[in-house]
Amino acid sequence: MNSAGVVVRGLSGGYTPGRDALRDVSFTADPGQIVGVLGPNGGGKTTLFRALLGELPVRRGEVELPGPPAYVPQTEGARLDFPVSAFDVVLMGAYARTPWFRRVAAGDRAAARRTLERTGLADVADMSFGVLSGGQRQRVLIARALLQDAPVLLLDEPLSGVDSVSAARIESLFAELRAEGRTLLVATHDVRQAGEWDRVLCLHGRQVDFGRPAAVLSPETLRETYGAELIVLEGGGRAVGVGHHGHAH
Amino acid sequence: MLGWLTDPFASPIVGRALLELLILSLACGPLGVWVLLYRDAYAAESISHGMLPGLVLAALAGAPLLLGAVGGVLVAAAGIALVARDQRLGADLGVAVCVSTLLGLGGLLALSPESPPRLGELLFGDLLGVSGGDLAVAGALAGGVALALLAGHRSLALAGFDRGSAPSLGVQPLRWELVLLVILAVTTVAAVQGLGNLLLVALVLAPATAARSLARRLPVMLALSVLLAAVAGTAGLVLSFHLEVAAGASVALCAVTVALLALLVPAGRLTH
Amino acid sequence: MLDLSAPYVQRALLEMLLLAVPAGVLGGWIVLRRLAFFAHAVGSVSFPALVLASAWGIAPQLAALAAALGFGVAQERLGRVQRIGADAATALLLVGALAAGVVLASDVFESGTEVDTLLFGSLLGLSATDVWLTALVAGATVVLDAALRRHWLGTGFEPAGARALGLRPVLAERMLLAGIAATAVVALGAVGALLVTVVLVVPAATARLLTDRLATLQLAAVALAAVEGLAAVWLADALNVGAGSALAVLGGGVFAIVAGATALRARAVPAS
Repeated sequence: MNSAGVVVRGLSGGYTPGRDALRDVSFTADPGQIVGVLGPNGGGKTTLFRALLGELPVRRGEVELPGPPAYVPQTEGARLDFPVSAFDVVLMGAYARTPWFRRVAAGDRAAARRTLERTGLADVADMSFGVLSGGQRQRVLIARALLQDAPVLLLDEPLSGVDSVSAARIESLFAELRAEGRTLLVATHDVRQAGEWDRVLCLHGRQVDFGRPAAVLSPETLRETYGAELIVLEGGGRAVGVGHHGHAH
Repeated sequence: MLGWLTDPFASPIVGRALLELLILSLACGPLGVWVLLYRDAYAAESISHGMLPGLVLAALAGAPLLLGAVGGVLVAAAGIALVARDQRLGADLGVAVCVSTLLGLGGLLALSPESPPRLGELLFGDLLGVSGGDLAVAGALAGGVALALLAGHRSLALAGFDRGSAPSLGVQPLRWELVLLVILAVTTVAAVQGLGNLLLVALVLAPATAARSLARRLPVMLALSVLLAAVAGTAGLVLSFHLEVAAGASVALCAVTVALLALLVPAGRLTH
Repeated sequence: MLDLSAPYVQRALLEMLLLAVPAGVLGGWIVLRRLAFFAHAVGSVSFPALVLASAWGIAPQLAALAAALGFGVAQERLGRVQRIGADAATALLLVGALAAGVVLASDVFESGTEVDTLLFGSLLGLSATDVWLTALVAGATVVLDAALRRHWLGTGFEPAGARALGLRPVLAERMLLAGIAATAVVALGAVGALLVTVVLVVPAATARLLTDRLATLQLAAVALAAVEGLAAVWLADALNVGAGSALAVLGGGVFAIVAGATALRARAVPAS
């Protein structure tokens, strides 16, 4: 058991007492590993992240983390009409370590600039967040998470609806973070993508399976995860579910 | 020409009124921007309208207006908080019931006695009746508000921009939403003497609306809002002096006019 | 004691009974469609129009209707500006109108009592025309409700899909807002510009606590509004105030009692 990674044992919980959104999740992610989290909408991916962030109202089981995780949400949650530039948003990653009476340190500001360059956003650093493209916004949020310098990063569907330039940038970033020894948990619908990572976690309200992609990504497991007739595209692309019965969302 | 602008301020009464407005601009300007960003305009409206019974009771008892204002705001806020919890109604509806009840109660208390208190001044302000002591109180309150908003700037920005991720970045959104409401309440208390409980929301919302239209970046917006509030206040006083109309209402009207004019400027025309 | 033979008393009682009809019928929709702030605003913005009507000797209902129309158009345009939002737009127009009214009133009226009457209503000022107009509006709202129920329900439930269902959302919406505006206009005399919601919102909100079926809600609201309205006339006469303040206190009191009682009952029955 590696204490610098993410260790989860028997995690269950939800938003209201008596109604668990997640049941019996147990897995270990070592430093430098990328774990793909697969599951249908409402299946518990975001709930798992909330639990790891310590924000789930009802939680049972054990979670061991080397430090507070950084969270990259889906960009829909951020207000596009807010008067903040890309740089301002990235700088928010340093807020947690800046006392309220001090300005954000010059070192953090320089680091924010560097992070923007690293994510290929140096040109748009001073543009308003709301006018950026979806892919650019996603990269800004990732840059913000990078600035937090956290050992664990939780990313909620970072590649969905993102243009190919941004996607390529993001994927190469993943490789860099992995090399730095950080642990990444990436929620995704892209089965092909998940197949290229170190581990896969399948959730459907409960843990369906966890392990190496080759072992986990079988048609049976996928069917159990998505709870529906599965259409697996040529070459094992995106998992698209066509439900016979109603899902509990 | 210059005389037309400076004549009103020869009188110490108007001079004090101007000072009051400039002090209030420091608080109302930035607060208004946050109220708009947090979409709290209805709350601002409701708290100020609902404080009327407190004001009337203070006037009837001969107590200082400040006391009545604080009491009124507390009761209004408590009532709104209580009623907003009800699941069946939804926040807006409960607040509407609470506010109209309080407004009506205020009217009842003010209009039924044999010698009614000066309801007009409570509703629309008594800008020209501001004393040195009142200025000191307003200064303390407004100064506190301005400092609080400065200190909380980053947290407010984060919680407002990305409520979902804020906790993971060290900021609890609920706490800051509450802080903003408290700051709003304090500003209301500060402004009610000069502008009255019906009109004070103009100085909070209107300059901020203009600033929001004209500026792109948040720090500029906040500063511009203070400036525009001061301009509207000065213009309102000058006009009220020359046209011989109510001072508070004149200021409120100028502020709203500034907002409407700013909205006519096409977006992006003025950068930063 | 209430002098039932006095014409002004009879008109007031009749007026409140007639107002109970749209209070219930439209009130149900106001509750369902979250239009409480709109109802409050459309009443308040009539204030400057009423001042002008008094000065120029034109029919107050006409002026009020013009103001309501202007407000409706302005609010729709302004509310679409993303940076401001509908609530802030409403609040700005509301306070702007009130300020304009005060500025006008300082020219038009000698004493403050006329302003108080315009804002909080009066028992004595009701003419036979007022009552006839209220009867007309009451009848019209019943007809509107019968004709457009389906549209209002469909659009409220799912605006995007409404047109596909063969509904005419825009026109139907405008008719709903027009109905609310018309009711506000005829209620102005009795309850005042600031307290239109005590008729249009409070009884319906109280009824909402008792049922969630629309038709039942509407009927209950009509009954509540009628009883409260009659009692308000008695109270207003006893205290020599306008019916608005009296109804506000009575309506608010009833609401508080019902809210408390239903909350206690909910707690007594444990949730399964």
